[in-house]
Amino acid sequence: MRIKNLMAIGLLMISCGMADTGSVKIILEIRFENHRFAPQTLTVAADTPLEIRVVNLSRERIEFESFKLNREKVVEPGASVVVKLPALRAGTYDFFDDFHQDVPEGAIVAR
Amino acid sequence: MPRPVNRASNAALRRLVLLGCAVALPCAAQVDPWEFEVYPYSTTQRGMAELETDNAVVVDGHSAGGEGTSSGTVRSQGMLYNSYEITYGLTDRIEAAIYLNMAQPQGSGLQWAGDNLRIRGRLLDEETLPVDVGWYLELEWHKTPQFDDATRELEFRPILEKDLGRFSVMANPKFEKVLAGAGHGDGVEFGYAAGVHYRWARSLSPGLEFYGGSGLIDRLDPMAQQSHYVFPVIWGELPRGLEYNFGVGYGLTRNSDRLIVKFNLELERFVGAMLKASSDRAWLY
Repeated sequence: MRIKNLMAIGLLMISCGMADTGSVKIILEIRFENHRFAPQTLTVAADTPLEIRVVNLSRERIEFESFKLNREKVVEPGASVVVKLPALRAGTYDFFDDFHQDVPEGAIVAR
Repeated sequence: MPRPVNRASNAALRRLVLLGCAVALPCAAQVDPWEFEVYPYSTTQRGMAELETDNAVVVDGHSAGGEGTSSGTVRSQGMLYNSYEITYGLTDRIEAAIYLNMAQPQGSGLQWAGDNLRIRGRLLDEETLPVDVGWYLELEWHKTPQFDDATRELEFRPILEKDLGRFSVMANPKFEKVLAGAGHGDGVEFGYAAGVHYRWARSLSPGLEFYGGSGLIDRLDPMAQQSHYVFPVIWGELPRGLEYNFGVGYGLTRNSDRLIVKFNLELERFVGAMLKASSDRAWLY
């Protein structure tokens, strides 16, 4: 009985989420070229969900990763990926290329 | 006039009844001691391969088989559970893995204990639902009754994750069906793995993990026969991309082993993608 209740709650949460998929989000862009990210500091609005398109303009495969934001995505040369983020509290959040430790680390600053 | 009591035959009868009960009743609810790991929503990325070893030592366990983390005839006290896993990112949303499970009872050498095949995936993109949802399907096989008297089992887990700031809350309810061996006539067993991880620093972060087995879904075991563990853990990334998760587990019920130490290591590398990138609009694969 308890497990059935839990499953019902889960389904309810999922259906509520489905209804929310149409919400408007801000889309920003980070490019990777010449072995570095640009911009290296990306300022975003706090408390607003957003999407970041990471475009790899180089000839090397990268892994866009942010430890604080719990995101990691491989980006093939010439390709792009979209990283979806929840509304961020004001603060600074790291991002880096996990495949190349010599690439300077960047920051997303939420204000 | 009362009939004289034959003590010897009564004792034999009692032993027979006890033996009958032991055969008829399912074993106490168990956790999977080869894998003290909570799965997140994210999967191994397309073209990446991950090599992982999970290890657990029962420091203070039970002295009889079928109790604590033991599902076979060998006692759990002093047991080393050791597994090797290779995972490959098939698509942007699905990974496949193969496992080799080994066990070393106290005073013995390392022995083969079984193998698993697993596929796991994530549904939709992150942040699409209030809770990120994934799935997990695993086939286990082993013909080693000393470690597990069920020879084939199928396991399904929904995977749920929610990030709250620097906290990640993960839950993997487990539904397991014995396909062959002891318990194949029974229903579905229920268990869980769950965790709260805090992202403090890349090299060192704390967390709390929970593992348990409650028995059959329609006939839960009495609490004393269930297994429940809480593991305070530390996790992070060492140089060269080697990731670790170390924890000390405390048993919370009479059937649980009292103290377990676990140590998991994993290394991820890009080896090449077999399939093309998934469509942005895909939700399953």
